[in-house]
Amino acid sequence: MLSILRGFLILTAFLMLGDITVELFALPISSGVAGMLLLTFWLLLRRRLSHDLGAASQPLIGMLALLIMPGVVGIFFQADEFSGQWLTIFIALILGTLLSSLTTLWLMQRLVATPRERPHE
Amino acid sequence: MSELLLRLESLAHTLPQRPETAIVLTLAAYFAGLRLFSWLRSPAWCPPILLAACLLAGLLALLPLGYTEYRRGVGWLTWLLGPATVALGVPLYQQVHHIRTLWKPIVLTLPPAAMLAAGYAVGIAWLLDATPTVLASLAPKSVTAPIAMGIVEELQGSVPLLMGALLITGVMATLSITLLARWGNIHDPRVIGFALGVNGHAIGTVRAFDIGPTAGAFASLGMSLTGVFTALWLPLMWHFVG
Repeated sequence: MLSILRGFLILTAFLMLGDITVELFALPISSGVAGMLLLTFWLLLRRRLSHDLGAASQPLIGMLALLIMPGVVGIFFQADEFSGQWLTIFIALILGTLLSSLTTLWLMQRLVATPRERPHE
Repeated sequence: MSELLLRLESLAHTLPQRPETAIVLTLAAYFAGLRLFSWLRSPAWCPPILLAACLLAGLLALLPLGYTEYRRGVGWLTWLLGPATVALGVPLYQQVHHIRTLWKPIVLTLPPAAMLAAGYAVGIAWLLDATPTVLASLAPKSVTAPIAMGIVEELQGSVPLLMGALLITGVMATLSITLLARWGNIHDPRVIGFALGVNGHAIGTVRAFDIGPTAGAFASLGMSLTGVFTALWLPLMWHFVG
């Protein structure tokens, strides 16, 4: 339990660092994303994941669906705002996702399948 | 007795304002949604979060509690989204070694794939005369939800519309990649997994773990990298274009 709290302290401290970075350099990203990047760099430098950090991040990531629920619910109360645009939204999402899936598969398949550069590995 | 009634009446006014009311409703709807999901035998086209959100919306519509009031009350819970987003750095760090084994295709595929995941949908919506709010809400549609929420706030889109877009995108990407891989005779789990993560965020990643651990690992990597990359380029691009 204390381990989770210590990990939570690290995560929240990185969120604060993210806040400070975004504010200082007037970055157009959210402080959560800035904090995540700073944490990743820090971990890459240290090359070691502490037990505390793992203990706190695992349950938080598992809770993500719950945490975004209040935002999801809003669509039922703000549906009128987008009346007349629903068809556009559906076409853009369905066709756009189909095209981008096709592109990614094609690109990645071609690049992975190109002749090996190191034949002896 | 009449005093008790009076107190009851004032309770009916104050109770909806309290954070605990909003949090109890959210948690209750969440667990009921999970229960309903397994009762429906875990349908792939309908993630439990959608069921839970429908239940919560029903509760809010029935009770004398407005959505704005609810959002204020539940703020204590949604604040946790901040540290949870930071926590995503941990799996990203754990998957970095996959980049070392296959860095060339990943580095070459990621930027165009992530840009097109946003670009196609925004382009189509723009051609069909969508409003700027709709365009901003659709742009981060392939990014995992916590990061996408941060992006959409920067672009001044609508969080609820983004959530709907994320859901449709995730389901659609899972379907189309499964079908396209079968058609195109693509069997490499690294390719399929990466495509699922880049286009279908968390929903695609869940499907990739069904295929196998390699596909799952590449899907989480694709999801994390798309999130980070999009969080960096999209707001910058939006500032220049808009």
